[in-house]
Amino acid sequence: MTATIVAQQAINGIVLGSLYVLVALGLTLIYGVLVQINFAHADFVTLGAFAAYFFMHTLGGSYLASVGAALIVGTVLGWAVNVAIFAPLRQKGSELLPLIATIGVSVMLQNAMLAWFGPVPYAFETPYSQRVFRVAGTFFTLQSVVIVVVSTGTIALLYAFMRFTFLGKALRAVAQDRETAGLMGINPNYLIMLTIVISSALAGMGGAMLAPVLVLTPFAGASVIVKAFAIVIIGGFGNVEGTIIAGLLVGLIESFTTQYLDPGWIDIVVFGLLLVMLAFRPTGLISERREENV
Amino acid sequence: MNRRDWLTILALAAIAVLGAGNASAQDKTIKIGALFPTSGPGSYFGAQDKQGVELALEELNKAGVNGYKFTVQYEDSACSPLPASQAAKRLLDQYKPDVIIGEECSDATLAIMPIIEQAKTPMINAGSSALKITDPGNPYTFRIMPNEVMQGVDIATNAYNKLNARTAVLLNENTNAGIGNAKVFKDTFEKLGGKVVAEIGFGRDVNDFTSIATRVAGVGKVDVIPTYTLEGQGLKITQALAQAGVVKGGGGAAIQLGTIWLPFGFEQKAGKAATGYVRIVQFDPTDQRDIVKNFVKNFKTKFNADPTHLNAHAYDQIMLIADVVKRGGKDAQSIRDTLAQTKSFVGVTGSVEFDKNNQNTKMDTIHYMETKPDLTWNALKWN
Amino acid sequence: MSDAAIVREASPWWRSRRAGFLIAALAIAMLPMVLTGSYWQTNLTVCAINVLLALGLDFILGYAGQLNLGQSAFYGLGAYVSTLLITKLGVPFWGAFVAGVAFAGLAGMILAMFAVRLRGHYLAIASLGFAVITYQILLNWISLTQGPLGIYGIAPPPPIAIPGLPAISFRNPVALFYLVAGFTLFAYFILDQLARSPIGETLTAIREDEVSAASLGINTAAWKVFAFGVGAAVGGAAGCFYAAFVGTLVPDAFFITESFTILSMVIVGGMGTLIGPVFGAILLTLLPEVLRGIGDLRLIVYGLALTLVVLFMPGGLAQAARIVGARLGLTR
Repeated sequence: MTATIVAQQAINGIVLGSLYVLVALGLTLIYGVLVQINFAHADFVTLGAFAAYFFMHTLGGSYLASVGAALIVGTVLGWAVNVAIFAPLRQKGSELLPLIATIGVSVMLQNAMLAWFGPVPYAFETPYSQRVFRVAGTFFTLQSVVIVVVSTGTIALLYAFMRFTFLGKALRAVAQDRETAGLMGINPNYLIMLTIVISSALAGMGGAMLAPVLVLTPFAGASVIVKAFAIVIIGGFGNVEGTIIAGLLVGLIESFTTQYLDPGWIDIVVFGLLLVMLAFRPTGLISERREENV
Repeated sequence: MNRRDWLTILALAAIAVLGAGNASAQDKTIKIGALFPTSGPGSYFGAQDKQGVELALEELNKAGVNGYKFTVQYEDSACSPLPASQAAKRLLDQYKPDVIIGEECSDATLAIMPIIEQAKTPMINAGSSALKITDPGNPYTFRIMPNEVMQGVDIATNAYNKLNARTAVLLNENTNAGIGNAKVFKDTFEKLGGKVVAEIGFGRDVNDFTSIATRVAGVGKVDVIPTYTLEGQGLKITQALAQAGVVKGGGGAAIQLGTIWLPFGFEQKAGKAATGYVRIVQFDPTDQRDIVKNFVKNFKTKFNADPTHLNAHAYDQIMLIADVVKRGGKDAQSIRDTLAQTKSFVGVTGSVEFDKNNQNTKMDTIHYMETKPDLTWNALKWN
Repeated sequence: MSDAAIVREASPWWRSRRAGFLIAALAIAMLPMVLTGSYWQTNLTVCAINVLLALGLDFILGYAGQLNLGQSAFYGLGAYVSTLLITKLGVPFWGAFVAGVAFAGLAGMILAMFAVRLRGHYLAIASLGFAVITYQILLNWISLTQGPLGIYGIAPPPPIAIPGLPAISFRNPVALFYLVAGFTLFAYFILDQLARSPIGETLTAIREDEVSAASLGINTAAWKVFAFGVGAAVGGAAGCFYAAFVGTLVPDAFFITESFTILSMVIVGGMGTLIGPVFGAILLTLLPEVLRGIGDLRLIVYGLALTLVVLFMPGGLAQAARIVGARLGLTR
C-alpha cells in the first residue's frame, strides 16, 4: 500500500507542480527582462479562467478553443498593464513603485470580478476532468494528463524560443544589459512589451488550465500567487530552468506534506524553504551563471 | 484651484452625504436591520440572504401585519469581527432598527452580540453554528437553526446506528464552524464506540484535494467521511474522493456525510461522484408541505432559480418577525419578549420553539437526504 | 546671530513644531465631541490604530527605504502575545503591552538580520513570506492561539484611577480613543525626533544609495535591523490596542492582505514624510465607511486610488499638499 501511496502523491505533486510552473513562468519572465514584479499576475490567471469558463459554457466553444480565448484575454491584459503602468514608471526609474501600482490593479481587478461574476463558485467541467485512469493502483484524470502535456509543451516551446530564435536571444540580451542591447539595434521597449504580453498570455492560459482544478471565484488566482512568488525566488528570479524545478518541487512538497503532516503545514514548509534559500542562496537553486538567466 | 478641482470637491462631498445619510422611518413600520457579508469571500452568503429577505418582504408588505409594514436596511458585515462590529454600530446609530437579522459567520455573530445586547435590540441568527452563541448566549440573541452540538450529535448517532458506521475520517475547513462541528462528531462517535481514523483540516484557500483524497484512500477501511466545508471546496473534495475510488460515487464503499452548507444543486455540479452522499439539509425543497411548495414556486418566479437553504433561512427570519408582530410585538423590547415565547412557529426550514437560552430546539429543522444515482434526493426519514 | 537663528526667527510661531503638536492634540481632544455616536467614535479609534501601523511601516519604507510587506505579521504578533499573556498568565495589561511591543520589535529585527543581504524585491518577498508563515502559525497552533476558534471577551485596558476624580474606564469609547490617539501622538513625536536626528540622516543615506552609504563606513546592516525593529515595534503596539479595542481576536484580521492595506495608506499619504501616512491612514480608513452606500464598488475605488497615486503623484497626499500650499502661497 505504501509504495502506491508514495507513487500517487508523486503524481499529484507533479500535476500540481506543472500548474504552478505555468503561473510562475510568466512572473519570472517579466522579472528577468524588466526587473519588476506584476502583482496582478494572479488576477490575470483568474480572468483567464473566467474567460475560458464563459467561452465554453455560455458560448458553447470547445475546451481547447476556450484555452485560446483565455490566452487572448491574457495578452490584452498584459499589453494594457504595460502601457498604463510599467512603461510610464520605467521613465521615472523607480524600483518599487511599479510593484505597488500593480498591487492597486490587483485589488481593483479582484473586486471588479466580484461585482461582475459574484462570489458563488463556478463549477468548470471539461470533457477531460471526468475521465479517470487507473494504472497499477494509482489514479489520474485525463485533465491531469492534459495539464502536464500542455505545461511541458509550453515550456519546451518557450525554451526553444529563447535559445534558438532571434527574438528570444534579443530578449535575453535585453535582460542582461538593456543599454548595450539598445546600442546593438534592439529596441528594448518593444521587447519589454513582448515579454509582458507573453507572460500575461501564459497567465491567462494557466488560468484556463487551472479552472477545472480551482474553486473558481474571483479570489482563485490569489490563492495561487503567493506560492508562485515563492517558486520564482526559490528557482531564481528570471531563471526559467530554476522556476521549473522549483515549481515541481513545491508541488511535491504540497502533496507529501498533506500525506505525512497536514495541509496547514504546506505554506509553512514552502515559505520556510523560501526564507532558507534567501538566507543562504538568494540567487536561487540554479547557480548564478548570468548567461543562463533569461 | 480651477473648476475641475471644485467639481471634484463637490463630487466628493456629494458621495459623503450619500454614504452617511439614509431614508427616515415612517409611522407603523417595523424596521429590520440586516447584517450580512456582501464583500469579500463571504459575499456568497449575503447575496442569497438578500434574495430571501426581498421575497418575504414583498409578500408581507402586500397587506402588512396588524397594520405594520416592514422595511429593511442592509449593512455589510464582511463575515469578520471588526467590520461586523462597525456595521452593527452604524446600523444601530443611524437606522435604529427594531430587530436585527444576521450574521452568517460565527466569529462575526459573536462579535456583534455584546453590541446588540447593549443596544437592547434583539437579533435573530440563522447561519452560525458555534455553540457559544446560545450557550451562554445573551437575552437578545436568538438562533433558529440547530447549533453544532444538535447537528453533530444527531448525525454521529445516526451514522452509528442507521448506517452501521464504525470508522470515520473527518474532513473540515479550518474555521470556527468547521473545527467545532468536527469536534462534536468525533466526541459523539467515539463515545458510541466508533473510531476516528484520521482528521484532516484544510484552509479556505486549498484548491486541489487529490492529495487529501489519496491520504484518505491510504488509511484503510473507512465507513463514513463527515465533511464540513463550503460548496466550492466541498465539490472538489467529493470529486477527488470519487476519483480516488474511496466513496460510493467512485466505486468505493465510504459514505460522505455532509451538512447544511451544501446547497441544493450540488449534485448537478458534482455529478456521479455525489452518489450515496448523506447529508443534513436545513431546507428540503422537495418537502410536500404547502408552505414549502409555495415558497419554492414564488422564489422561482421571482428569481428564476431554485432556492437554497440560505434563501430559505432569510425568508424564515423575516416570517418569524412577522409572526412576532402578529402576536403583539411592535418595538425592540416587545419583539424580544414575544420572540422568547415562541413555541410553535412553522417556517419553510422547520418549526421554531426557543429554549431558555433562545436556541431553537425543534429537530424537524434537521432533514436527512441521500443522493441517489440519478442525482435526485431520497429523503431519509430519520427525524 | 547665527544663520539658523535668523531662519528660525523668520518663521511664524504657528508653523513651529511645538505648535503643530499642540494643534494635533487639540484636534484629537475635540474630534469625539464633533463626531458623536459610538459608531463614529469607534471609527476614530480604528483610524488611530491604522495611523500607528502606517507610521511604523513608513519608518521602514519611507525612511530606511526597505519594502516591508510583512507589517501584518508584527501587528498580529503584538495582538496575540499581549492577549495570551493576559488571558493565560494573568499578566497585567500594561506589562503585557510592553511585552507585545518588545516581541514584535524583536521579530522585526530577526527578519531584518535574516534578510540583511537582500535588497529591493527579494526583501519584499522575504517579508511577505514571513507574514505568511506567521499567519499560518497563528492559524494552526490552535492549542496556543485558539486559531480560528478565536479568543473572546478580551477586556479593554484597566481603568485608571486618578485621586479625587472618578476612575477613567476604557469601556467608554471616547476614553479609549483618547488613550490610543494619545499614544499615537507620542509615537509620532518619537519617530519625528528620530527622523530629524543624525539617525534619520543615516537611514536616508541608506535609502538613497545603500552601496555608497556602506562605502562611507555606515554599518547598513545594523541600521536596517534598527529600522525594522522600530517599525515592527510600533506595529506591535497597534496590535495590542486592536485586541483590547475589538475584544475578539481571530487570525483572519492579520492575513497578508492587511499588509497591502497598510502599504496603501503609506503610499497614498506620502512615504518619506511622517505626516503623510497619518492622513493616508485616516483617509483610507474613513473613505470605505463614507462610501458604504456604494457597496462593493468602494474596494474598487480603493485599488484605483492606490494605482493612480503611484502613477501620477507618487509623493501622495503630502506631495499634493505641498503643491496646493505653494499655489496658495503658504509655503515657499
